[in-house]
Parts: sequence; structure tokens; C-alpha cells
Amino acid sequence: MAVVPGMTELTAPYWQAARENRLVVQECQSCRQLWHPPLPRCPHCHAAGPGWRQVSGDGTIYTYTVVRHPTHYAFADQVPYVLAIVELAEGPRLVTAITGAAPEEVRAGQPVRVVFREVADGVTLPYFALVRYQGDDHGTA
Amino acid sequence: MTGRQVAIVGIGQTAYGKALPGTAWDLALEAILGALADAGLEAADVDGICRFAPPFEPVSEPQLVRALGIPELRFFAESPLGGEALGAVLAHAAAAVTAGLASTVVVYRALSQSRGGRFGRADGRGPGGGPGGAGPEAGADVVVPEEDNRSFAWPYGLMSPGQLFALWARRYTIVHGLSDDDLTRALGSIAITQRAYAHGNPNAMMRDRKMDWDDYRGARMISEPLRLFDLCLENDGACAYVVTGADRARRLRDDPVYVLSATQTLSPYREPMGIYVTGELLELFPPATAMRLFAEAGVRRADIDVAEFYDATSYMPLRSLESYGFVPDGQAWRYVTETGTGPGSPLPVNTHGGHLSEAYLHGMNGVLEAVRQLRGTASNQVPGAEVALVGAPAGSAMILAR
Repeated sequence: MAVVPGMTELTAPYWQAARENRLVVQECQSCRQLWHPPLPRCPHCHAAGPGWRQVSGDGTIYTYTVVRHPTHYAFADQVPYVLAIVELAEGPRLVTAITGAAPEEVRAGQPVRVVFREVADGVTLPYFALVRYQGDDHGTA
Repeated sequence: MTGRQVAIVGIGQTAYGKALPGTAWDLALEAILGALADAGLEAADVDGICRFAPPFEPVSEPQLVRALGIPELRFFAESPLGGEALGAVLAHAAAAVTAGLASTVVVYRALSQSRGGRFGRADGRGPGGGPGGAGPEAGADVVVPEEDNRSFAWPYGLMSPGQLFALWARRYTIVHGLSDDDLTRALGSIAITQRAYAHGNPNAMMRDRKMDWDDYRGARMISEPLRLFDLCLENDGACAYVVTGADRARRLRDDPVYVLSATQTLSPYREPMGIYVTGELLELFPPATAMRLFAEAGVRRADIDVAEFYDATSYMPLRSLESYGFVPDGQAWRYVTETGTGPGSPLPVNTHGGHLSEAYLHGMNGVLEAVRQLRGTASNQVPGAEVALVGAPAGSAMILAR
């Protein structure tokens, strides 16, 4: 049992890219600003038809919380889990969860890298893993 | 909107409890009839209703018009975004009265979490809905419909305000260099102070429940760094108040409570609850909002005798002291520990016990408490209180005066 995102015309490309293990955010085709979550137009110059840019998947933990009590039955057997806001190297922030680490290992400001997990048939979510040492190219899921 | 043109002339509420016998509709009627009786008015006098928009407020205008026998409602308005409606519903009511669109406006909030869903029970729902689902037995995936970017957060298990506030509270320690113990002492000071207020308030759900530092620190972590007693209650109950013009208010009673200002505010990515803001996450609302709230009221911070801050968690009163300008940014954690917000402090906060220890009513019980303080009838009366501030997280707020 998983909680999965409902997709709209606007958000489907993000989740389609995740299925292909690519992390993307919207990019203005006119002023080249990046943002997330998706919008119909650029919030800076109001240009129509934003595109999607694949980002590095590198970021840092902006803030986090260790959830010890579930607020939905789908997560009852997943506590404790670590929710985080990750600031991507390219700027935009994502809500995500930290995977592959004990809760007490997680600190603000830590470098993290995207990892992809299929949570249901055809549904993949971008998670983030701690980058544990220099030269680790793949994170640690 | 500027000072003393309209007033709150009646307040009403139900008892608060984990599971009350009435539906939300029953509870709303009890609170509204109580507020009308308190004002010396009849249901037939009501010609306006302002409320929190669905899915938060479950009781509709047609349900009330029908059940109360209101002959004609000529003004009704709804404010979205949950607790952010707190100041907005009063702003709309006051604007309607000053514009002549209505003479007698009822504002209400009714809640039956025993029937409607509780986060603490992990039943898939909460007071504002939730992802829902067929239940744990069904074993089926739960699809989060995309609305206000929730589909980017809920699949990770970020579903409740308590979890969002935990992210804010953690961020507060990062930005201001607090240790976990610093934060625990600050949040515990707020929770324990509010519990002590509840002990003096016969309406408070936690009126008989003691809480000392051992109880507070020993409670289980819910979403770190927030413990059980940092989170609000989940309960049934209803609150209502009646707004009318100042002249009529003075004819109705000797002690109307005047509306000096009421604000609503919205800035990019405040939904859901500010999690996607591109600036500093700690900023609850644009600084101009608080400036407007005080400028329109024509009062200064030092004039506020009592504050009722929306407290879905204990973090909110802490940050509200800073955001509304009572304490400099990054200083409230020291302030609540050293000066405090209890009886006799420079600014008593959540004198009814707040959402943590009286009941959770989406801030509306804080409005009722402010009215009682300004009438001089509160259980934990602040001596000589003349001006009160009621503030929600995102700058939806009001300043009231006797």
C-alpha cells in the first residue's frame, strides 16, 4: 500500500521523468529561471509554455523532521521516517524523504543526492540519500 | 479597515470534548444561538454569515438558514486555507457591515473530529480532509488528488500540520543556532504555561490534567522536535460570534468589543502552509502584514494587553511573538524561557489554554477568549485588559478593544 501522487496535465511530466529516474524542474524558456512545484507560466516574466530541465540531483538538507507517529495508516509500518526539504544545487526546494540513513544520522546542511524508488506499479518518487564521503558518485540507497 | 466602526456583541460556544453527542451541525447551532442570546438578538435578526470555507468548515450556510429560520441572508462569504481564515472571516464581516451589505453577521466554526477524522488516529483524514483512502484493511494504494501542490508532499508521508510545524521548528534551531535542549525548554515553557492557564478555565479540556516538566519531556516524540504536548488537541466543539455596527452595538450592550483592525494575507506558496516558499521558511507572512494590522488599528505593540496566538503546535506562539513584532527575530526562545507569557508577564499569551490545552477550534476559541478578556469576564483575567491581538500563523489576525 502506498500513497501516490494524482497527476494533472501540469504535473505529469515531473512524475514521468521520475519513472525514468530523472529529476526535473520547470524552466522558463524566456528568462531561464527554475522553479518547483510546477506552474502554467513563469512566475518571474510570465512567459507561457515553461519547459523542463533535468537537474543534477545534488542538494542539501534545508530542514527535516523524524516522524515517529504516523498521521495516515499507509505510513503506520514505516515510522520512524525522515521528512525533509532539500535545496537543490540549482536552487529550487523539494519536499522529500531521506532514505538509507538512521534518523540520528540526519543533520541540517548535509549534502544529499537523489535516489529513485518505485513505490507502486508505474509510480516512482524521488527520495534523497546522504552523501557520506567525497567521491561517492551514486549516493547510498 | 479602520477602528471602532463595528463591534462583536455576542459570543457563544459549546462544551469541548473528545466526542460530543451532537453532529457539527448541532454544535454550530448551539454556538450560534448562544452568541445571539448573548447579544440580545434573535435568529431572524441575522442577515449575514461569514465562515471558514470547506473542506474545513463542514456546516453550510443553507443548513444554518434552514435550521435557524433566517428569513433572508443578504451577505455570505467564505475564506479558504484553514487557519488563515481566522482574521479574514472577521474582516469580511466588518467590511460587509461598514459597506451596508449586512447589519448582523454571524461568524462560526464547528468541528466534529470524532466523526470527521483525526490525525492522531491515522485514519487517513483530518479536520481539513486528508488523502483519505479505503482504510488499512483494503490494502489499496491511496491517490492524492493534486490540489495546492499536496501531491508533491503527501506521498512522502507529510500530511499533517504537526509535521509541517516540526519542519519549521527544526529550521528555527538551524537558523538561530539553538540546541535541541534550548528548543525543548522554549516549547515546554509555552506548553506548560498554557496548561496552567487551562487549570483556571472551566471550559478547558485539560482543566484537570496536571503537566510538569517531567510530563512534558517524558511524552513521546510525534514528529521531532515536537513531542505529544507540543501538539494541539483534537476534539469536537463549536464557537460563534456576532458582528454589528458600533452604534447598534452600544444600544445592545454596555461592553461591546470593537474591531480596530482585521487582516487577511496571501503571498506566493503559502499553500499548503508555506512549505514551498522560495525565501526563508521561517517567515510566516510578509512584514507589511503586521505593519498594516497595527497601523490600521492605530495602536502600538506596547498597547496590546493580551494576545491569543493560533497554536496548532507550541512552535506557533513562539514564532508569532517575533512575527507580530513583540520580540526581535531569533529572541522569542529566550523570551518565553526567561520572561514567559504567564499571568503577570508583559504579554500574557493564550490565557484560555489555547489549542494545546483548552480545545482546537481553528483559532475561534482564541477570539472568544479575547472578547472575554476585554469584557473583564475571563477565567484567567488580565487585569484592566483594554486591547487584544488574535493572530493566526500566516498573518490573518485582528486587534480588538473595549
